[in-house]
Amino acid sequence: MRHDDLCHEVVSNLPTHGDCFVARDATRNDSGAIMDDENKKQINERYEKHLEKGERFWPDTIFRDLIMSLGIFTLLILLATFVGIPAEPKADPSDTSYIPRPEWYFLFLFKFLALYGQLPVIGKIEWLATVLVPSVALGVLTLIPFIERSPRRHYSKRVLPISIMTIMVVGIVLLTLMSEVPTVSEDGSTLLGTLQTVVGIFIPLTAYVLLFVFKNNTRLMLWTTGLAAVSMIFISGTVLTLAPEKKTEETEVATTLVDQIFAGQDLYSVHCTECHGDDGSIAVIEGVEGLEGEKITPIHSRDVLYTITDSAMLEVIAYGRPNAGMPPFGKTYGGELSRSEMDYIVVFMRYMWDDRFEVPQEALKPLFPPLAEGEVPSYNVHILPIVKRYCISCHRPGKDNNNYLMTTYEEILTTGDNAANNIIAGDENSYFLQVIQEQPIMNPENPEEELIGVMPPTRPLKPNVVDAFLRWIMNGMPRTAAETGALSTTPTPEVTPTP
Amino acid sequence: MWKNIYLWLDERIGFNDLNKNLLDRPEPKTTWWNTLGSASLFLFVLQGLTGIFLTVYYTPSPDHAYDSVQYIMEGVAFGWLIRGIHHWGATLMVILVFIHMLRVFYTASFKYPRELTWLIGIGLFLTTLGMGFTGYLLPWNQKAFWATTVGTQIAGTAPYIGEFILKALRGGPDLSALTLQRFFSAHIWMIPAALAGLIGVHLFLIIKHGESHFPTKDD
Repeated sequence: MRHDDLCHEVVSNLPTHGDCFVARDATRNDSGAIMDDENKKQINERYEKHLEKGERFWPDTIFRDLIMSLGIFTLLILLATFVGIPAEPKADPSDTSYIPRPEWYFLFLFKFLALYGQLPVIGKIEWLATVLVPSVALGVLTLIPFIERSPRRHYSKRVLPISIMTIMVVGIVLLTLMSEVPTVSEDGSTLLGTLQTVVGIFIPLTAYVLLFVFKNNTRLMLWTTGLAAVSMIFISGTVLTLAPEKKTEETEVATTLVDQIFAGQDLYSVHCTECHGDDGSIAVIEGVEGLEGEKITPIHSRDVLYTITDSAMLEVIAYGRPNAGMPPFGKTYGGELSRSEMDYIVVFMRYMWDDRFEVPQEALKPLFPPLAEGEVPSYNVHILPIVKRYCISCHRPGKDNNNYLMTTYEEILTTGDNAANNIIAGDENSYFLQVIQEQPIMNPENPEEELIGVMPPTRPLKPNVVDAFLRWIMNGMPRTAAETGALSTTPTPEVTPTP
Repeated sequence: MWKNIYLWLDERIGFNDLNKNLLDRPEPKTTWWNTLGSASLFLFVLQGLTGIFLTVYYTPSPDHAYDSVQYIMEGVAFGWLIRGIHHWGATLMVILVFIHMLRVFYTASFKYPRELTWLIGIGLFLTTLGMGFTGYLLPWNQKAFWATTVGTQIAGTAPYIGEFILKALRGGPDLSALTLQRFFSAHIWMIPAALAGLIGVHLFLIIKHGESHFPTKDD
């Protein structure tokens, strides 16, 4: 009793209570180091007392459990409804440009491996970090009840284990947060990588060594843990602030059938129209360098669509037909298209040309809204979809096109070897308008030679498309629908107030 | 009539004992921190139910997996909700199980007489991660494919046995249809069976010893 009184006096003057309780334990003939039968008896007695002033499982404990579960259920429904699951393209084993990342809860380990790999000498021994460190950590975690064998449960008597775990958890959370930050910046600077290594390896390691050195001094252990955690958080904050803005690579993923048909149509227009024509009907290639006069099977025919399965068609697109002049398009074979993109092209071909498939009505909307009498088309609404469908396949970088590119509004107006005469506002003799109306431009120095052939080389454009281009250039190539309003000669119905 | 049925069942099941052993038990004062375990159990059941519905349409082959998931999202009534809950439930379950483990560690609840409960708990934590790892591949999209590629690669760096582990996980040197098939099998049969068994033992031990009280200065 006397000892207890003395103890309380000491407690009130000390910030840490550890020593006091060790002293009190001694009076109970209890060293507090290792569990014995006496300890077990005391533990069970204490637990009985807690039960007496406790609660009933039903209805007290379970009530709170049920509320928690209900809350989680609600949260999940909200997440599923309002956040959803981001659409991802189909797995593509050939796409070596894809940056692989593990599941989010393994990101800290992934980051740790990256940082470890930067260390000199031991950084080269990969399995130390991939196998040994995680195994030891997991082993310690599993065996905690047999490593920490003291019967004491209060926080003040477990400063060492709590410190070790806290630094570990802080490290795991911070490494997860920093997982996106590269270890070597684009300009070759390793500053961010070094700072991350300090957070992920050096501070925790130093803190662990210090903790074991200060094993018997609660206050120093708490200071070590606090300082380590604060400095880790502070440096991570710096790293995250300095980190280059993450480039969000937008991958368009078509999820609905209609979206897939449209995506396929766009891809087909860019990659296939050049040789196969916009409707797949071309039997003899014209106007393509190196393949002039090559005879091919029209790919919109039943012969092709009924006899070649989706996966075979995919292989043809991916590998090409080198002997027949068709280059490979799949990334596996050095082309540009991913697995998902080739899938969309196949979907497009099936639904548009194969008479066994029924096209959804929404996929059949016209290429551009029909023009009324006197209406002026704009680039955004009318010309862009036309160019995308019929022109861009050849008029993009890397193709034989007299350097005339058509991927943007500015390019259409300003690029090309004959830019000066190509598109002239209000001039019917613009080269552009002549060639799309089947009048080749002859070389003024050598009237025998075609300067520009008819466009498109294989088949003339439909009259309504030619008409749209004609009206657009004659009215000064307006860019937006708003600009065309003033140019339009359609009489706007005037509202005359009736008397 | 109902009374007779009740009495007949009571004679054979013993509702009183059941009530006394399972529900009408004394517990020490508990807080919200004590709900994490039962919340993890709730998520396990929820994942099981939504997972069973997903298998109705899901096809574990590289040719059809992606499209079948796409169909669940677009074509099946409330398919987006079922998959959404399953997707987010998996993330939440990993977080909850981890925080639950930390709570048990910080309150030293793993000490006598609950050491075995802790060991089983570690098993539950690892199987939960295993569920996440195997389930991640199933949609067969870019993220899934490459996450599994690096995941199995890391396991393959172990000295001596690394190559064996890598081949056993992938069913060959590369990710293929075999990988998808065995991940599917592990995800819906092997790991859940292990998980359910471990949960049973974990619950038995919790009921036997009761929840631990929060440590006081006497402890």
